[in-house]
Amino acid sequence: MRRRVGIVGVGMSKFGKRDDVSVRELSWEAIGEALQDAGITQKDVDLVVAGSTAYRGVELYPAPPVSEYSSLTGKTPIRVEAACATGSAAAFTAINSIASGMVDVVLAVGFDKMTEVDTQTSLAIGGRGGNYEWEFHMYGTTFPAYYALYATRHMAVYGTTEEDMALASVKAHKYASMNEKAHLRNRVTVEDVLKSRVISWPIKLLDSSPISDGAAAVIFASEEKIRELKVDTPVWVEGIGYGSDTSSIARRGEWTSLRAARDAANMAYSQSKRSPRDVEYATVHDCFTIAEIMAYEDLGFAERGRGATLLREGQTEKGGKVAVNLFGGLKAKGHPLGATGLSMMYEVTKQLREEAGPVQQQFKNYVALTHNVGGTGHYAYVSILSR
Amino acid sequence: MEGIPLQLRYTVPEKGYEKFWEGLSKNEIWATKCRKCGTLYYPPQRDCTSCYTSELEWVKLSNRGKLMTYTVVKAKPQGYESEEDYVIGIVRTDDGVDLMCWIKGTPRVNSLVNLVTDGKRVVGEILDV
Repeated sequence: MRRRVGIVGVGMSKFGKRDDVSVRELSWEAIGEALQDAGITQKDVDLVVAGSTAYRGVELYPAPPVSEYSSLTGKTPIRVEAACATGSAAAFTAINSIASGMVDVVLAVGFDKMTEVDTQTSLAIGGRGGNYEWEFHMYGTTFPAYYALYATRHMAVYGTTEEDMALASVKAHKYASMNEKAHLRNRVTVEDVLKSRVISWPIKLLDSSPISDGAAAVIFASEEKIRELKVDTPVWVEGIGYGSDTSSIARRGEWTSLRAARDAANMAYSQSKRSPRDVEYATVHDCFTIAEIMAYEDLGFAERGRGATLLREGQTEKGGKVAVNLFGGLKAKGHPLGATGLSMMYEVTKQLREEAGPVQQQFKNYVALTHNVGGTGHYAYVSILSR
Repeated sequence: MEGIPLQLRYTVPEKGYEKFWEGLSKNEIWATKCRKCGTLYYPPQRDCTSCYTSELEWVKLSNRGKLMTYTVVKAKPQGYESEEDYVIGIVRTDDGVDLMCWIKGTPRVNSLVNLVTDGKRVVGEILDV
């Protein structure tokens, strides 16, 4: 990157079924908090990058109404979309706009109101998150079905079990119960997960992230601006890597790992000159429990096929070798697609600043990572952040 | 308040792929192959994007293969609500092409599969006992 970029403010709305607000108030919850956190106002922002998938909300072009409501009119020329990695796509655009030298302060805001349509419609939209003609149209694929194809193969090749996957859900719900902004704050047991309704075998209801409404915002600034603003604890972006893969799930050639995520991780490690061993805290994209296990492997925290071992040994709990998703993960914190990637940066920033309260991880070197996957590995972004 | 419903009606072009869709009524699975570089495309493509030519020929794929992975769909999307639970699988054909299909019979990863069609899609029948 040509110029060093840091995070100076973060905000996040409460996630959940938010039928008390429109997408405008929902986004403002995150934007207002981020501006106050940074100690700046709208006039200090050079550019706003909005991220939203928007397909499930009544506003199909939501960036202008959100921008107008938040007094950011005139600064929002773009909305980006990368399915479930939309928030990271907004961050990627924001970071590069600063690194290039074009602007100094960028607000990336991600939001989605997903509960404005019914569940069946939502499944039909998610099922198109691959290839309409060659997969959805002929075979009635759903989003859980895509990840289930990976889970079945991972189980057959590596001996991963449904109980292993359930452990990821138990962990997510445990930490979400301590997060006031999380969507699902109830605790669950392995047995609860195994007994829950089958959605697309081997994926069950409690292996799945909920359909959530939510918003998150992150304010990025150039190093010069950070010095000028005298920011106490900036969080530096050491790298942001990306990857992508085929729309057709059948053409991937393997169904135990996400190539896009491996590519993104390798790029981010190379940019930051870090290795998986340096990472003390990570947010990973656990839209389904199998995705968390694959993430450990794709990020190099575990060898291929051994991801479940980290869960069994508790190595990704608070105080573990690398703490993962201590805010509850997509599984229980919630997964409003456009917000998720930026809510990961919110979480990592809170952790690195040691503002995470009961779930604060102890750092030695203050290195953390976000792993955000769009679709079923159609897109991926991995960022490395440090203090 | 209730929002105004949005109904999207789509017309999807089939031009150039008639051979594939006709095959679905005859137990035939068709792919395209570049006459110049030999690249095999499944799903079929009209253009070879490796050597920038549209000179592709239709080739019929093997009806035998091996089940790579599968899932049993219980929560169905709009358009499939009235279907019984169905099994989506990915089969690697004897010619090395990976394709999506519905699976009939009791699935197991690595099962041998006979590929037929039901007029709308490819269906893999499990051959193992």
